[in-house]
Amino acid sequence: MIRSFGRTLGVALLYLVGAAHVGSPDTWFEGNAGPYRVTVQVVPAGVVPGVAEVFVRVTGEAATGVSVHANKFDATGGAPPPEPATAVAGDPGLYAGKLWIMSGGSNSVTVTVKGAKGTGTAVVPVVVVAYARLGLDKPMAAGLAAMGIFLFVGLVTIMGAAVREGVLAPGEVPGSERQRKSRFAMAITSVVLVALLSGGWRWWNAEETAYVNGMFKPLSASASIREEAAGRVLSLSIVDSAWVHRNDTAWLRQRGSSSWTPLVEDHGKLVHMFAIREDMGAFAHLHPSSSDSVTFPSALPPLPSGKYRVFADIVHESGFTQTLVTGVDVPAAVQSTRLPTATGNGDDAWFAGPVVKGASTFAIDSATMIEWTGVGAKLVAGRPAPLTFEIRNTDGSAATLEPYMGMPGHAVVARKDGAVFVHLHPAGTISMASQMAFVMREPGDTVRGRLGKRISGMEMKGRADAAVVSNTLSFPYAFPKPGEYRVWVQVKRRGQVLTGAFDATVSEVPAEGR
Amino acid sequence: MATSVTAVGGGVQSSTSLRDREDILAAEWPIYAVVFASASIVIGLVWDISWHRTIGRDTFWSPPHLLQQAGAIIAGLSCGYLALTTTFAGDAEARAKSVRFWRFFHAPLGAWVCVWGTIMMITSAPFDNWWHNAYGLDVEIISPPHIVLASGMIGVELGAMLMALGAQNRARSEKARRRLGTIFAFAAGTIIVMVAIMITEDASFPNDMHSSSFYKATGLIIPVFLVAFARASRLSWPATRIAIVYMLISLVSIWVLQLVPARPMLAPIYNAVTHMVPLPFPILLFAPAMALDVLMRRFGENRDWMLAITMGVAFVAVMLAVHWFWAEFMLTPYARNFFFAADQWDYTNRLGPWQYEFWNLDRDSAGKFSPLGLAQGLAVATAMAAASSRLGLWWGKGMSKVQR
Repeated sequence: MIRSFGRTLGVALLYLVGAAHVGSPDTWFEGNAGPYRVTVQVVPAGVVPGVAEVFVRVTGEAATGVSVHANKFDATGGAPPPEPATAVAGDPGLYAGKLWIMSGGSNSVTVTVKGAKGTGTAVVPVVVVAYARLGLDKPMAAGLAAMGIFLFVGLVTIMGAAVREGVLAPGEVPGSERQRKSRFAMAITSVVLVALLSGGWRWWNAEETAYVNGMFKPLSASASIREEAAGRVLSLSIVDSAWVHRNDTAWLRQRGSSSWTPLVEDHGKLVHMFAIREDMGAFAHLHPSSSDSVTFPSALPPLPSGKYRVFADIVHESGFTQTLVTGVDVPAAVQSTRLPTATGNGDDAWFAGPVVKGASTFAIDSATMIEWTGVGAKLVAGRPAPLTFEIRNTDGSAATLEPYMGMPGHAVVARKDGAVFVHLHPAGTISMASQMAFVMREPGDTVRGRLGKRISGMEMKGRADAAVVSNTLSFPYAFPKPGEYRVWVQVKRRGQVLTGAFDATVSEVPAEGR
Repeated sequence: MATSVTAVGGGVQSSTSLRDREDILAAEWPIYAVVFASASIVIGLVWDISWHRTIGRDTFWSPPHLLQQAGAIIAGLSCGYLALTTTFAGDAEARAKSVRFWRFFHAPLGAWVCVWGTIMMITSAPFDNWWHNAYGLDVEIISPPHIVLASGMIGVELGAMLMALGAQNRARSEKARRRLGTIFAFAAGTIIVMVAIMITEDASFPNDMHSSSFYKATGLIIPVFLVAFARASRLSWPATRIAIVYMLISLVSIWVLQLVPARPMLAPIYNAVTHMVPLPFPILLFAPAMALDVLMRRFGENRDWMLAITMGVAFVAVMLAVHWFWAEFMLTPYARNFFFAADQWDYTNRLGPWQYEFWNLDRDSAGKFSPLGLAQGLAVATAMAAASSRLGLWWGKGMSKVQR
């Protein structure tokens, strides 16, 4: 069992956001490390620098040793020696290791598997940001306060004793003058210590504020809907100054910030935008075009009216991925809304309708149904979730699938309150473009956009070559926290993207099972 | 006070060598234990900083940490034992040489300071651990939990120094006084190493030495300690000797560390170092220390305000005279060798021309080096050094009377 431990050191962690994705900080990857099939989970520390936990499950071929190492996309002095991951007792095939990740931003974790079939590696892109806030729990605070008081009183006493007796010859008894001076020294020491402590307190608060201000926030974005002759358009804008001014060196220097690298296409799209109605009753997966580097319009499908949460996944050339978060009000359609053809996109898909709670099958249309084969298992936060789905024809036979943007399928997981949002593939939570950014980087990539072009070219080729061999989809993932979730599963058949939806209730980790 | 010393001293005055031995025996193991502890702590700290510049990855149980923890434990246990035995099993003489804590416990003043320092160091451990979990594994020297730790370390070192000082001031023979005075100077030197480490970020690299911030940092922090210790010492050229102890500890650590092959264990690596990266060459503190010694001798003990002002001027003037050209030399290729150990950088540093440039120069509004700005900064540094010296003279005067 892949576990998340080390998060609960008797302290209360408050998760605000993950980096890529929302409220879902772990990175998951499933794929090949040479001849070995691996599932990798990276549990970040939530602070930078911090120690991440890495779990590697090797399936199929047996491994004799697993090691992991982290690196930064721009390191010039080589990589540190790999850290051995140790086999987890009682769980064959599972290896666990710890990785110090010193620098925020786009990091890679390289997993090396050794065995009878030789050595294989897999590169897992990991976005490292500070996102966790740690409270000072009561026993800890009380313990520190008690020690503080003891040390305070101790130092005042020592100063008093030093003045009262320290300067007297051995055996001499302090007179009243010495006693008076001693009391004065104790008073002065107390005043000085109180001043130092209040200065220290202010310093601590300033550090806390600086940390909170430095915690990761995705680029701010806004979304709006406008009516055009061809239909309604949902337009996403990246309004963050850090993005708008990313090429303005004077502006950046003034703020001491570094420049955002350009966006690269992931599955052939610059932006993967998801609109989810706040009651989860409607969902759309859209791919805006870019009218300029801050505005990304997309044809709005015929979604029912209501308040929608908008999530937009983007990938930077550095390999950094992030999910922009905003919202939009979709008004009731004034006329029969048809999908505009001008900005239409064949990979866009949407779904609106009821979902039967606890149902294991979902009939997409008259010809296709999706079965969540793992639905019977209890879903527990932090434990691998059996997100395995079979796509069948209504007669029960296996359905033939086509690649959807180069993938056998996509899944989107959202908690009903919007605190968790993640876009999954059978390869995990990672972005393929981000992985390519590490694998395809060349020492000569000093011109911005050059790597992005190669990634797009390689992706295009990958999509053209892609074929779906199975009607079973499996997404490696663990729900990050308990609650009510909805899972949308998307596949492509006969040139059409089909969306199925399931509900899931995720429970708290039992205390003894941590 | 004088009466009691004469009475005790008069009884054994027939045999000088016996008196020597008694004095030295009285100083025996607790003083050596705490001075050893103090050295372990400071050497452990220098080693630890080098570890972070070179290897990066460590644990609570890394060798430099173990050395520092051993120092804390040796100091805490030996002084705790001394306090318990003096309180519950001590004879009248032992109690006569002690101070009372909470009207009941007896131990020498230095022992109490050592115990306090040890508890402070222990307290910093969970605090620092929490800090790492809350704000990230810090790679900075100055953070609140590190200040708690450093205060504990300085506590242990001050306690060790005070134990040697009390014994020195009680000693009745010249030989014992000199021996205890040397131990005192060594203990004081370890504190100067510690203090210099605390200002490493502003005042250690030759690149800092053309900036007034270097003279402000050193002028503010160093005289208070150096002057106080020098005034409490009974040796000739006390500040110079203490400064030489600081320089020797620093130099030996630099030369030894460079011999140890090591490589970074953490990513990202921007500077692929192959051996332990030491701290930079120590500040040439012997020079201003000599000036302080000369001034203290000339002024005597009764004109402290005047002395402090003169010391402030002398400290900054000599520091500037020595380090201005020294820094220029240290940035040349001639200093990039084993002896001077210049141009050695952390594995996290992206190398570039900044290695050979002066940093934090005093600049005018156009961004150009401003001699006027430097002069103004040096004036501030002088005022700071004078104030720091005054505080040191006052503290040193108090310490010179410590007898328990």
